[in-house]
Amino acid sequence: MKKIFTPFENIGKNSRLLIILSWVILVAVFWFVSSMGERHLFPSPEQVGRGFRELYNEGLMVHVGSSLWLCLKAILIAITISLTITYLSTIPVVMPVARAISKLRYLPLTGITFYLAIIISNARTMQVWVLVVFMSTYLTTSLLSMVSSIEQEEFDHARSLQCNRWEVLWEVVIKGRMDHVIEVIRQNLAIVWMMLVTVESILVAAGGLGFLIKNSDKFMNHGRIIALQIVILFVGLSIDFILDYLRKAFFRYSKI
Amino acid sequence: MDYQMQNTLLYVENLSVAYGEKVVIKDVSFVEKDVTREGSVTGQVIAVVGRSGRGKSTLFRALTGLIKPTTGKILIADVATGVENDAKEVHEGDVGFVDQKYTLFRNKTIYQALMFALRHKDFSKEEKHNTITKYLQEWGLEKAKDQYPCELSGGQRQRTAIIEQILCSGHYMVLDEPFSGLDIGNIEDVKKAFSLITSLHEFNTIIYSTHDIELAVELADSIYVIGYPTIDGKTADYGTIVKHVDMKERKLAWKEYGVEHLEVVKEIKAAMLTS
Repeated sequence: MKKIFTPFENIGKNSRLLIILSWVILVAVFWFVSSMGERHLFPSPEQVGRGFRELYNEGLMVHVGSSLWLCLKAILIAITISLTITYLSTIPVVMPVARAISKLRYLPLTGITFYLAIIISNARTMQVWVLVVFMSTYLTTSLLSMVSSIEQEEFDHARSLQCNRWEVLWEVVIKGRMDHVIEVIRQNLAIVWMMLVTVESILVAAGGLGFLIKNSDKFMNHGRIIALQIVILFVGLSIDFILDYLRKAFFRYSKI
Repeated sequence: MDYQMQNTLLYVENLSVAYGEKVVIKDVSFVEKDVTREGSVTGQVIAVVGRSGRGKSTLFRALTGLIKPTTGKILIADVATGVENDAKEVHEGDVGFVDQKYTLFRNKTIYQALMFALRHKDFSKEEKHNTITKYLQEWGLEKAKDQYPCELSGGQRQRTAIIEQILCSGHYMVLDEPFSGLDIGNIEDVKKAFSLITSLHEFNTIIYSTHDIELAVELADSIYVIGYPTIDGKTADYGTIVKHVDMKERKLAWKEYGVEHLEVVKEIKAAMLTS
């Protein structure tokens, strides 16, 4: 028993399960207690359950699908842009451009949306491009760091095997780090998923989870808000799990 | 033991390498010739020893063409022309390079890596397959051929890295501290690898660095000590060759390690400590 309170102590599988179970029970009890009485911060489990039912009847799955589709489109475009910039950053003349794009992550979203609104009129396209601009800066930052962490020995090894510079780029950086790209997407996914909901709630015309949360917020429907938060968290974690699974399944050598 | 010196295999003249203002090695010159012995194929084994930071790795990167010398030249035998004693300047890829970590392509299995090493060779796919299979059998890697580097033991990685270079680079191979961090079994594996390489072709030349002077004396037939030279009573801050021990001349090469070798070890250690 003392072991579970000692730093760096190794514990058995059963103990670990017991600890997790205890925490889950603790959270559940806290939820029940804090949702009792007249004035409470969290909605009761019944309210949340009702929230789920209402959302389902209002087409929750369609909205989840809409958000996922938006996310997929934005990720595909953003990763294409970021990968192109990152791979080309190995060429000295392109390097400053890549670094500058990475620094643009400090730009506020409002500034970006202002200029995009001037160029794009369609709400859905606008949502995609706000996300693309936002994601590209973060993805480029992580991908540049991925390239710079490749050890000199790997480049030397390829060169000693008579690879010209383009082959070195292809073999070591592009092919050799394919699994890292998936990991970069996975690690940036949380922030992208969070942004997606924000973007959808700013531009409500095209629906999605962000639209639902904005609506629930407006009518102070606490049960629905928590139900939606749970859905958003669950969908986000599922994408995270799927990406990790894909990386391990397709790249046996990947031990990140 | 009788031997003869034939064609020049490696010619280094006034080599210096500087990174910006910092001169790392300077005035490095040496010549290594093809050694022949009757009744056996004898490749060359050259050891480079010296204290840390004296420029061994820089010399190796220059010898393999991975960095351009600031001054001087490095010539190797040009066997492709068919003309005897023909030489060419070294370029990246001419000389095999195996680093201390035995770096491999992380996304290629042993078989894929060796196939990649043979990509420029003018063989049919079947001939390439047969060559690889032969090497895998000889070097005890047949069972691991479909494994990735992260799934290999240290010894398997070493052997793969060495075969890769044999298949791709021809007669020259530079190994940066191949014995570093190895257990006694792996050290024996590398020794076996050395004798396998040198028994394959007269021109095969292994150049390696080590901090283990006993191993240098035991395996090499030519030993170079790199250190800071003393000029006008002052120690310079660049590396150069401060001592050369020709084990062939001393009749200690290709011989069982004994008392006479220990004397050489002492000599080399003394040279290292003063440079």
